[in-house]
This record gives sequence, C-alpha cells and structure tokens, in this order.
Amino acid sequence: MAKSLLGDTTVLLRRSLRHIMRSPDTIITTVIMPIAIMLMFVYVFGGAIKTGSDSYVNYMLPGILLITIASGVSYTAYRIFGEMSSGIFERLQSLPIVRSSVLWAHVLTSMVANLISLVLVVGVAVLMGFRSGAGFLSWLAVAGVLFLFTLTLTWIAVIPGLSAQSPDGAGAFSFPLIFLPFVSSAFAPTETMPGPVRAFAENQPMTSIVNTIRDLFAQNPVGNDIWFALAWCVGILIVAYVFARTVYHRKIA
Amino acid sequence: MTTLSLSMRDSATMLRRNLRHMQRYPSLTIMLIGQPIVFLLLFVYVFGGTLGNGLGGGGGRAEYVGYVTPAILLVTVCSAALGTAISVATDMTEGIIARFRTMAISKASVLTGHVIGAFIQTAFALAVVFGVTLLVGFSPTAGVGDWFAVVGVLLLLTIALTWLSVALGLAAKSVETASNTPMIFMLLPFLGSGFVPTDSMPAWLRWFADYQPFTPVIETIRGLLLGTPIGNSAWLALGWCVVLSAVGYLWSKSLFAKERDR
Repeated sequence: MAKSLLGDTTVLLRRSLRHIMRSPDTIITTVIMPIAIMLMFVYVFGGAIKTGSDSYVNYMLPGILLITIASGVSYTAYRIFGEMSSGIFERLQSLPIVRSSVLWAHVLTSMVANLISLVLVVGVAVLMGFRSGAGFLSWLAVAGVLFLFTLTLTWIAVIPGLSAQSPDGAGAFSFPLIFLPFVSSAFAPTETMPGPVRAFAENQPMTSIVNTIRDLFAQNPVGNDIWFALAWCVGILIVAYVFARTVYHRKIA
Repeated sequence: MTTLSLSMRDSATMLRRNLRHMQRYPSLTIMLIGQPIVFLLLFVYVFGGTLGNGLGGGGGRAEYVGYVTPAILLVTVCSAALGTAISVATDMTEGIIARFRTMAISKASVLTGHVIGAFIQTAFALAVVFGVTLLVGFSPTAGVGDWFAVVGVLLLLTIALTWLSVALGLAAKSVETASNTPMIFMLLPFLGSGFVPTDSMPAWLRWFADYQPFTPVIETIRGLLLGTPIGNSAWLALGWCVVLSAVGYLWSKSLFAKERDR
C-alpha cells in the first residue's frame, strides 16, 4: 500500500510539476507581490522605521518569506479547483490508483513551487543588502520551519480548492494569510503597537515564526519562540489535514 | 428644447443609471472605501508608533495620524478612480455603448454620466474615510477658508484622476486590464511624502518622490489641515491637477470619438 501510494504520488507529482514548468507565470506572479512589498518597505519606509536592527532588509525578510508562501499556496487552491471543476479528479478516481495520491501530488507540487519562489525572493533580498552570518545548522533550521509552514498552509489551501464554488472563492482564503504578517513583529516591533493590537500581534502564529527565523538568521538565541512556532504549525497542520481529507472523501464518495 | 438642455437631460439620465448601478451593486463602493480605511488602520495602529517617532516631533502615533491623513484622502480618490475605470470598461466591453449609439441621445452624455457619478462616489468615499480619520484621533487645526481650500484641491484632483481613469477605462481591452492600469495612481501616494518624509528615503527615490505630482498635493492638504508651511506646493498642486485634467479629458474625448466612429 505504502509503495503504491509513493509510486502513484510520484507519477501525479511529475504531471503537476510539468504543468508548472509549462506555465512558470504562476511562480512569477507569486513572487512579484512579496518583492514589491519588500522594495516598498525597505526603500520607502525602511529609513523611517526604527527597529533597533542595523539593516531593515534583515529585519523584515522573515515576514516577506511568510507572505511569499501565503501568496504561493493560493495557486494550489486554484489548481485543485481547476481539476475539480474540469472533471480531471473524477477521471483519476476511475483509475486503479491510491485515492489520496491525487491530493499528495498537489501538496508536494506546492512545496516545490514555493521552494523556487522562496529562493527567488531570498536572491532579491541579497541584492538589496540582506546578509546573514548564520551557519549551516541555522539555515537548516530556517528551511525546516519554512517547510513546516508551507506544508501547513498548503493543507489549508486544499480545503477551499476542493469546496469553493468559483476560482475567486478558491483563492480568496489567502488574503487573510497574506495580511497576518503585517499585524505581527514582521515589519515593526510589537512594543510600538497600542495595547489590543500588540496583544493580538504577540500571540498570533506569524509572530513566533517570524521571530524564530529572524533569530536564526541573526545567530541570536531562539528561546521559546521556536517551540511556539512548531506548536502552531503542527496544531494547524493536523486540523487542516483531517478537515481536507474529510472534504475530499465527501467529494469523491 | 435647445441642444444644451437636451444634452443635460441625457446626462442626468446617464447619471441616474450610474447611481442606480452603485446602489444595486454596493460591493465595489464598499471595496473602494474599505481599501483606504485598511491602509489607515494599518499605518496608524501597526506602524504609527515607530513612524510617528521618526517624524522628529516625538509625538508618536498621535502625531502620525495627522501626518498620514492627507495621503489616505488621496488613496481614497485614487481608489474611487479605479472604480470609474472598471465601470467605464464594463460599459465598453458589454456592448451597451453600441446600443446607446443607436438611440437619439447626446453622445457625450455617456461619459458625463460616468464622470458626475464618479464625483458623487468619490465625495461619499471621502466623507466616510475622513470620518474614520477623526475616529482614530485626527484633530485638524484648519479654519473655514482652509477647509474650502482643502475641498477645492480634492475636487481638482478628483477631476484630474476621474478623466484619466475614464480614458484608461476606454483604452482597456477588458475589465481586468481596466482594474489593473489605474493601480499606478494607488502607488504614487506611497512613493511621495504621504506616509514618510522624503528625506528618510535613498537619494534616487527621494528625487522621484519630491517631483512627482502627488507630493505637492499632499503637502498642500497637510499644510491646510495642520497649519504647516505650504510654500510653493499649492501652485505646483494646481498646475499638476490642471495638466492631468487636460490630458485625461482630451485623451478620453479622442478615444470615445474613435470608438464612436468604429
């Protein structure tokens, strides 16, 4: 069964990746917004925002990476919706393949597409002056946190992809996810925010993830943030995965 | 009945049609008002503390509300202009203009209806957004004369951007294109003195920010509302508004005539 799942997922993953390679505009569209936000915040607001950090691009890059992922997973929802509405899913169900391999192929495609997007965004950040003295293990930890975050958001994206009534509806879920990093420690220190906003900012998932990545890049002690980040990601991932599987089985039943 | 009175009657009919659209489909109006309000709340409550401290007065968030309000008012006008481009493009692509052309109505009334409708929508949006700025702590020091001047500047800017967005709506091949091209207007208040002083920007960007059309408009409104020195910003603002209005009007006229002759 496991071997069959792996084989079927690999075949379908190859198929999905071919779609991406044939229309790379989705990746380009994904990275344009985070890069535009980064340019705007570094060059327009960067000189006026006091963060206590030497370089504002270093300070805000973790938040931009999360926005990149949130922007990227909306295309996963679009792709799933497209295949649901065009009847490809039903066609695949008629084949002797493991049912869940269809979803896993989309999830893994999202992981690959987001990896490419993240590399492009980090590349632009380096051109804008981003520097990190982080060692190999720190970079590995950053990659691990981003991998887990991408996996979590991708499984969230599967739900509207399966259940939306229109393409706009499928992609709309990503707007709050893109907005959340703004109301966190991603762009400005939470100490400068008024009481209720600060309370929300300090206790929402994005802040602990941003702080973890920022501390890893800056070679600072990570503290409790990494555990909060992992707990948020794993908790949301489990809920999203179970919910997505339920919706999927209901759809194909 | 004279040609002028017929033309005015037709324009009033077209205006009624546009207002009815706004009434029946309020989602666009809500979105156009919602966008500047989201920016206002984000910049005041999330970034306001740190950006306010960087203004020099040390007034923090309270000082920053006053600083950012003119930019938010401009974003509101730009947002409404986006709505105008969308509604003009919708009319152009859905074939209703061809239908109007077969009727015995003044040809210019179609555009006039859109422009006056846009004015009303913009005025409503500005009133709502300005109300929200007062709720978040903006306290202007303007006198009666200053208020008239603020309204005058915003009116001129609305004329300029409305005609430009009508032209962009006419030029667009689809509604999607029409919803994207006026985004440049939305960007300009950010790349000016709207949200942060231009002297905090790198030299190359500062040069652009100092000489682009929206900076003198923002400085004029800020000066009038808060009593800060305006310098020659008022004349530059008027000049830009007149030039942009003329360009937008002439461009719209030629595009509409071309469309009519097809």
